[in-house]
Amino acid sequence: MVITPVHYIVVPLLAAFAIPLLTKIYKDAARLIPGIVLFYNIIVSFNLLKYVNEHGIISETIAGWQAPWGINLVITPFTGFLASMVSVLGFIIWLYGYRFKRTLKGGLVKYYEILQMMMIAGSIGVIITGDLFNMFVFIEIVGISAYSLTAFYRGRDGAEASFKYLLIGSFASTFLLLGILIIYTQTGTLNMAQIAERMHEVPQHMKIIALIFFLISLGIEAEMFPLNGWAPDAYSQAPSPTSATFAAVVSIAGVYALIRVLFTLFDVPVNNYLMIMGFVTMLVAEIAAISQKDLKRMLAYSSIGQVGLVLIAFGIGSKLAVFGALFLMLNHAVIKSLLFMTGSYFIYNTDNKKLKSLNGIHKRLPLVSFFFSLGALAIVGFPPFAGFWSKFYILIAAGDARHVYLIVGVLGVTIIELTYYLRIVGRIYFAKEEEEPASHKPSINAIIAMSALALFILVIGVYPDLIMQPLNQAADALLNKTHYINQILSLN
Amino acid sequence: MEMLSSLLLIFLIGAITTYFVDSINRKFTGIIAFLFVLLGSLFFYSNIHIGDVFVFQLGGIEMQWGINDYSYYFSYIVLGLGVLALLYSIKYIEGKARQGYFYASFLLTILGMIGVIISQDFVSLFIFWEIMTWASFLLVIYNAYYKVKTKGIKYMIFSAIGAYAMLTAIVFIKEHYNTLLIGEAIERGAFNFQQYRYIPIFLLLGFGIKAAVMPFHVWAPAAYSKSPMSFTTIFSGAMSKMGIFGIGLVLSTFYLQHNPENFYWVKLALGWLGGITAVMGTLYALIQVDAKKLLAYSSIAQLGYIVVGLSTGTKLGVMAALYLAVLHAIFKGALFMVAGAVERQVGTTDMTKVSGLIRRMPWTFFVALVSIIALAGIPPLGGFVGKWLLYEALITESNNYFLVIVIFFSSTAAFLYSYRFLFGLFLGQEEKETEHVKEAPISMLIPMLILGIGSIIIGSFPGLIFEPAAKAMQAIGFKDVTWQMSLLSNIWGNTTHLFLISMLIFSVFIIAFLFLTLKGLKKTRYVGTKEISTSGELPKEWENFTFQHNFFKPFERAASPLYHLNMNRIWKDLGKNTEAFFGFFRKLYTGNGQTYALYVIIFLVLLLLFKDVIFS
Amino acid sequence: MNDIIFKIGGAFLTAILAFTVGMFYAGLRRKITARVQNRVGPPIYQNFLDLLKLQSKRTNVAHGFMGHMAPIWIIIAAMTVLMFIPILQNNLWFENLTLKGDLIFLLYMMVFGSLGMALGAGQTGNPNSAIGVSRGLSQMVGFEIPFVMALVALMLQFKTTSIADLMHFQFTSGHWIILENPFAFLAALLSSLGMFRYSPFDIVGAPAELASGPMSEFGGKYLGTMMTGGAVFAFIKLVLFVDLFLGGAGNNSVEGIMGTGLGLLELLLKTFLFYMIPVFVGLVSPRYRTEQAIQFFWKWPSVFGILAILWALYKNGTLL
Repeated sequence: MVITPVHYIVVPLLAAFAIPLLTKIYKDAARLIPGIVLFYNIIVSFNLLKYVNEHGIISETIAGWQAPWGINLVITPFTGFLASMVSVLGFIIWLYGYRFKRTLKGGLVKYYEILQMMMIAGSIGVIITGDLFNMFVFIEIVGISAYSLTAFYRGRDGAEASFKYLLIGSFASTFLLLGILIIYTQTGTLNMAQIAERMHEVPQHMKIIALIFFLISLGIEAEMFPLNGWAPDAYSQAPSPTSATFAAVVSIAGVYALIRVLFTLFDVPVNNYLMIMGFVTMLVAEIAAISQKDLKRMLAYSSIGQVGLVLIAFGIGSKLAVFGALFLMLNHAVIKSLLFMTGSYFIYNTDNKKLKSLNGIHKRLPLVSFFFSLGALAIVGFPPFAGFWSKFYILIAAGDARHVYLIVGVLGVTIIELTYYLRIVGRIYFAKEEEEPASHKPSINAIIAMSALALFILVIGVYPDLIMQPLNQAADALLNKTHYINQILSLN
Repeated sequence: MEMLSSLLLIFLIGAITTYFVDSINRKFTGIIAFLFVLLGSLFFYSNIHIGDVFVFQLGGIEMQWGINDYSYYFSYIVLGLGVLALLYSIKYIEGKARQGYFYASFLLTILGMIGVIISQDFVSLFIFWEIMTWASFLLVIYNAYYKVKTKGIKYMIFSAIGAYAMLTAIVFIKEHYNTLLIGEAIERGAFNFQQYRYIPIFLLLGFGIKAAVMPFHVWAPAAYSKSPMSFTTIFSGAMSKMGIFGIGLVLSTFYLQHNPENFYWVKLALGWLGGITAVMGTLYALIQVDAKKLLAYSSIAQLGYIVVGLSTGTKLGVMAALYLAVLHAIFKGALFMVAGAVERQVGTTDMTKVSGLIRRMPWTFFVALVSIIALAGIPPLGGFVGKWLLYEALITESNNYFLVIVIFFSSTAAFLYSYRFLFGLFLGQEEKETEHVKEAPISMLIPMLILGIGSIIIGSFPGLIFEPAAKAMQAIGFKDVTWQMSLLSNIWGNTTHLFLISMLIFSVFIIAFLFLTLKGLKKTRYVGTKEISTSGELPKEWENFTFQHNFFKPFERAASPLYHLNMNRIWKDLGKNTEAFFGFFRKLYTGNGQTYALYVIIFLVLLLLFKDVIFS
Repeated sequence: MNDIIFKIGGAFLTAILAFTVGMFYAGLRRKITARVQNRVGPPIYQNFLDLLKLQSKRTNVAHGFMGHMAPIWIIIAAMTVLMFIPILQNNLWFENLTLKGDLIFLLYMMVFGSLGMALGAGQTGNPNSAIGVSRGLSQMVGFEIPFVMALVALMLQFKTTSIADLMHFQFTSGHWIILENPFAFLAALLSSLGMFRYSPFDIVGAPAELASGPMSEFGGKYLGTMMTGGAVFAFIKLVLFVDLFLGGAGNNSVEGIMGTGLGLLELLLKTFLFYMIPVFVGLVSPRYRTEQAIQFFWKWPSVFGILAILWALYKNGTLL
């Protein structure tokens, strides 16, 4: 096998070191190399995903150290699917941000590009690692890149947001480390498969304490209420491609980590916890979103809301629900990136982030407005767009599990969501224009990136069967815990 | 059958084509949209036959599209009115901005409606229902420059409540009956109130909101009156009938297949809801000064009658409802077109500003007159047949004796706004400003006249509608539905002979016209509307004595207690309170890093404290 | 063949009868009013003279399309409704089309003429006319409610919606409906006060305020035709009440022309007696305001109407 999961880690790291050097030779290297790396990631992911779907789980041990001592990278249909998704979106976001701030002086763009790439690579690392401590390391990589990117603009607000993120993020790191520590002392291993195998030996109270630490720390990464205070600020202050990355990549990695730990490592029933907290997250986030006056903050709250729904779906726990949750993660990543991309063009053209200044903007930015409206309709879950199917499957799953109040609640919250999204759509198209500032038309690379996402929304909306199979396999792989353990332990 | 999907494809391609044609050449947008709908309708009626079924898999769900008599009946409304509305649209929307957007949404709306009636499984029903909803939302906000925040959104929120109620019901049907096909669900008793009451209730809520049933009607007046009139024709004429389509399906199944005696309250509740809808719609219609709004409220009232008809669940009642559904499409479609024509030619439909258009727009007036007579239910036009069927159904076949009084009150009060509409726009003294006004263009008049003549013909030969309606009723389970071409009869054996009545009226008309009017017509001189005997004083040229303000003030005073029930205000208060309540939650995000850190700690402590409860 | 002669001849006879009786009663009312007010008053045939004068005039002015239509529609409504009302029981001459329509049809057909007049009045541009129409329509919503309640009560009680069937029932059983369902009669009687539009419900014409309201711009033949229509309508309303509540007319077993004569006499007697009720009420009451008039009908008459329905259900056995 030529392509192995190691490429995920090695290539971006090498590139990250290479960029500063190569920039001396060729000025645009800082721009181009991340794209090449991310594109290579896509090739790797698709090949690996194809392979695991046909031949079963891959477990790659680094430097020949066997588990439990060595670090292993695991590709299952589940992680492979998420890694592919993150790679593709990372690449599209790179494409979108290709001309981002290229005129900025002082070589700042270089750092932006490196950090952005590391953030995406780190997220992939979180997803594919089979080692608990390694996961912590990758989470830290993602976190540090994210803190720096949040403060990229070096303004007061950016610094404040970054500091908040850092503050809460350090809580996450601490508690995660504590959790890992407890697990390690109890099971004597950091390999996730082995931990899972030995978990039943761990005394109940220790298990619960560790679980709580994991819930808190990974809950922060997954933007669960009330641990998500950092998110709106970070999303709204970060550069726009970064906001899209937060929504499409980082939050996905956070949810993955949480789900992996809860579903694979622990054998404690957390379904009700996930459902309730997911619902609370969703409710509070959407309620907060409806009263926002700032577009990016609104989108940020909406992202949190979507994550809440994902958690609900995982909480239901049936095959169909997990399937729906994965579908929703995919949809959320795609649609929310599109919304952040289009939204940032709005902001770029209006000089402030206020919703008011979007009045009648479609005249200046017809294509962007169209994409935004498409995204808005899709994320609320209108058929025939992609967002409908994920919501539909989750609801069917909730129905099968007879969670009546959950269904009514989720749909009720959806009405809130719909209200504020459609208010904006109405504003974009039909409110009276206030003034006519200079127009920044989207660049061609951004148009391609946005069109690709829009096309995905439409095609999957009309013909969801295209991705049913990988999703199905991914859901199976997540739920079949014993298979996972056995495979990894036997492979090593 | 591939035919059904090709049909939808025609509309989809039409929508996309028109959207892009508009950016190339604006002149042809409307014509192309019209041709696509015409093509779609011709395709439908030539290639698609009753009994066609198309089964396929999508997203792991079995989907089924098909046509039966019941859906075929509604296709007449959708496609017939659709073709006319688009023909009308060409000139109506000419010169306005964003035509591509307008026509694309228009075609998508029609696609959604066709999809709804051909869906035989719940998932595609819901998908098409939502397509119809958001496409129409795009049209509702087309005109609403300033009011977008409240009006368009109100429509969308209520539609969403309805749609999600329906989705909830669908999810439970899947859970309890393990099917998503409508036919199978009906067989297994999904629409039965006996097993899981909330399923039919949620479904009825979903359909009822589209049909503007109290107390969820508040979206309708604004949405109907603010949309472009050529679209409101479809909106009120056809899309509201999708709600009726669903209610009819649920209720008739319930009445025919199960044990409705135990659930008398269903009938009672729905009937009275329809009755109250009719009364309130009428009462609010007659105090409006904007003709479009008047028609919008009147639509609500008319839909109330249809719901009442369905709620009886008897042959005559359901026949009345189905008949009224088509007839309402005909006359209300025509009336909205009239309002649109006036709007286009004069610039406003405010009845306090417009008057005396009869001599400027005679054909438009003719259509308005005929349609209003049909609306008011005065013989010999089609409306009377609907009223007759409804009353006779309520009196002879249903136990709702007091409901019939309510309905009668509403339809008597409907005379008031009927007259108000005709008088406000077309009669009264002529305005100086409207002297230049011309008759509407021919392409707008043709659809109006077709609809107008339609309601005349149906008045004498209601059998033209009874025939497909009877088939439709048989398709949803009624047995031996009888009908005659121009004879109405109830179960007590009383009849009304419509053709005879028409002939009598017509012959008296001819005689009177010949001997009374025509005989002396040549020698008469037309006197202007200002040469009147108001105490021997002639109005000045700039004066206009037309009685337009507070037209029915005395009635309003007499009925003042009824006007206190303002559903709109109740909903608005609810909305405000909810948002205020939300504000409290919103404050959880203080923007302060320390607070957020505190939340984390508190949450940790809580989890540690209640760990036994949470993770047991 | 015989049938057709009877039909056409009967239709003519009915029309002439209705016209004559209607005009005669109108004259009678003027006379009675005058006497009560201590005047001499015009002769009883004065209305015929008036009509003759109007009809002999040439139509000079036209008010446009609806102005032309108004008198035609009134006469259409009058003739059509007349054709569907049974004048005499079991009489070939006066059978007309009684079994081809029913009460609901009659209710709606009666509005046809008013609508025509309202539209014609509207086109003249006279503000008084429009005010009159507005009042008339509002008042109609008032009195139709108790009236319909009474009719629904009758329909429920006797399981028919045909006026001929109701008459037939009274003939065969010998019980007048006034005794079978007194509440229905009360409700109908009170609403008939509004229907005749005499004081206190003469708010449409309101001579002092509106200068005869909707009619004010009409003259000559058109006004004459409207008067004729009004006279026929007065007759129709009276016959309708007699048919519905007072047993109808022609309930004798005498054969031939004698029987018809007796029947007509009975009809005249009953209609005259009934007619005197609105006339005398009118003589002693001042005019209501519009909202008062509407509210009047929504109070006691409607209570009687509801009682009538309950009574009908009780008689029917469906109540309780």
